[in-house]
Order: sequence, then C-alpha cells, then structure tokens
Amino acid sequence: METEKPRWREVLEISMPLCLSYIPIGLACGILLHAAGFNWILTTLVSLLVFSGGAQFMIASMLVANAPMHTILIMLFFLELRYALLGSSLSQYMRNTSKKFLYIFAASLNDENYAVNYLKFATDKGWSPKDALMVEHYSLLFWTGANLIGSLIGNMININLDIVDFALTALFLYMVVMQIKNVLTILISLLAAVLAVISMVLIKSTMGLVVATLLASLVGFIIEDYLVKHGREKGFLLKKIKPKASRKVISKSGE
Amino acid sequence: MNMSSMDHLILVLLSMVVAFIPRFIPLRIFSTRQIPRWFNEWMKYVPVSLFTALVVKDIFIDTSDYSFVGLGYLAKIVAAICVIGVAYRSRSMGLSVVLGLIAVALLALVLPV
Repeated sequence: METEKPRWREVLEISMPLCLSYIPIGLACGILLHAAGFNWILTTLVSLLVFSGGAQFMIASMLVANAPMHTILIMLFFLELRYALLGSSLSQYMRNTSKKFLYIFAASLNDENYAVNYLKFATDKGWSPKDALMVEHYSLLFWTGANLIGSLIGNMININLDIVDFALTALFLYMVVMQIKNVLTILISLLAAVLAVISMVLIKSTMGLVVATLLASLVGFIIEDYLVKHGREKGFLLKKIKPKASRKVISKSGE
Repeated sequence: MNMSSMDHLILVLLSMVVAFIPRFIPLRIFSTRQIPRWFNEWMKYVPVSLFTALVVKDIFIDTSDYSFVGLGYLAKIVAAICVIGVAYRSRSMGLSVVLGLIAVALLALVLPV
C-alpha cells in the first residue's frame, strides 16, 4: 500500500466529479438569478442557504415571471418535499450522530451529494457520516463559487436562458441513467414519466411531481416484492444490466 | 410585482426554512427509530421515479399553465436522447451536462427549444 493520504484528500477525490459538474450548472444558475434581479450577494446567500439547483432555477424563473412571493414559497416547498424521501433513505446510516450534526447535515443535503453518499454508504463499510458531511461541504463550496461567478458574468454576456436551463435537465437525466439497474427500473422510469405528465396536467402544479414519484416508486416496490416472493430474482425483469464502462470505474475505486 | 433587494433577501431566508424542514424532519425521526424493511425497499425506487418526473417537467410541460406540449420542445428532446447515450457510455456527470448544453445550443439553431 502507498503512504496514507489524509482523509480530507481522499474524500475530495471522491467528490471531485460531482464538484466539477457543478461548475457549468452553477454558472447557468448564477446567470439566471442575475437575470431575475438578484445581485451577487443575494446569489451567494441563496446558494449557501438553500443549496438546491432545482429550487434556485425555480426561484429565478418565477421571479422573471413576476410571481408573488407566497406562490414561489409554496412551489418551493413542494419541490423540496422530495428531500424528505432522500433524507429517510439516508437516515439508517445516521444513527449515533448528535442532533447538532443532523442539523448541519440536513442543511446541505441535496440530490447530487445524496447520490454520491448513498452509493458510498451502500458499498463502502468504512464510509462515515463525517465523510458524508465533507462531500456535502465540498459540493457546497463549488456550487456557491460557480453561482457567484455566473452572477458576475451575467451582465457581460447575453445567453438564451432556455438553453442554460437545460443544464439541470441534463443533470437529472444523468442521474436517471445511473439508477438503471434492471429492466424493471426502466419500466418504472417510463411509468413515472407518464404519471408525471398526467398528474401535472391535472393538478396544475409541481405537486404532480410528488404524486407521480410516490405512485411509480410504490408500483416498483410492489412488483419487486411479488417477483422476489415467487422466486424470480433471476428473471427477465430483475436481471442486472451492467454496462461495460461501469466495470472499469468500479475496479478503479475498489483499490 | 417588482421586488426590491430587501424583498429578495426575505425570499431567500424563507426559502431556506422551506428547504430545511423536509430535509431535516425525516432524518431526525428515522435516525433514532427502526425503519420498516418494506419502507427501505420502497425508497429504492424513489430516486429513479423522481428524477424522471423532473426531466419530464422540463421537456414536455409548459410550466406557465402546466399543459402538455408534446414535441413542442423538439431541441430539448433530441438533446436529452444525446445526454442519455453519453451518460450511459461515459458514466460521467460533468461530460453529460457539458455535452448536453452544447447539443441543445446547436439544436436550438434549427429546432424549437
């Protein structure tokens, strides 16, 4: 074994892909917030305090649309409700931590560092809540920095905001692809897509996202439970899909 | 309605509260209590469903009145297919986002965004 690297450097290396991908998204978000009338101080504050790409993009686009404050806050609440689901799924790894630690951890939890931490907790026995918090803070640092720069260059360049907005869509798409484990997850993803359209058109708010998520995930759980109970783990629906590239990544990080 | 920087500051602080509550409460409750096994099994399907729903909102829904636009944002649809391919092959988040942005910017020249 080589000489031990300090823990903060090891965790930084694990967080780096996430941190780097925050740069284009953070820049895009900073530019949008600038267009919505936020100065650089406010943009830095919102990045530090709210730290949610989806929420910040939504604040920007609703301010541009002149929505009143209470409407923005209600929409945000429904958008942020999904963190309740992320939080519950991480909570099993947060035993034996203090209440103060949970406060700090919850404050900078978001989709992307959740994805990194969930994967590490599930595959690495040595992964501790402290490491997870470090991942959150590295990503927070890069996110805030990129937003600040985006805010500052916002008045220098003129960009089509619909295009900038796609940064977040691409990020979510990437996370969907990373979640694909078997044919059943593909089917559940398609089901979630159909349910999302129907429920958003009917409910006329982002609450439709929450409804579609709960229904689709429940169906996935029920089907998997049924298949496992009937001894069909190796069947067509639950057979693992392994892309060639992922094996290389796994062996690299496994050393 | 035109908001001042003071209004914006209040909005940011209230947003922080709104974002913090759903993050904190389940963590707090479930870190001291045993989660039922079925709940964990169910949560396994939450990320894939949620992220799909968010993508669908960006690509197929006009959020000004929540109507379904079908192929109205064709540039985004084609770019999304490119992103899926890049993400599947590269497994790289940064590459997926950057190539996605380049793809949508180029496609926007010839297709509706």
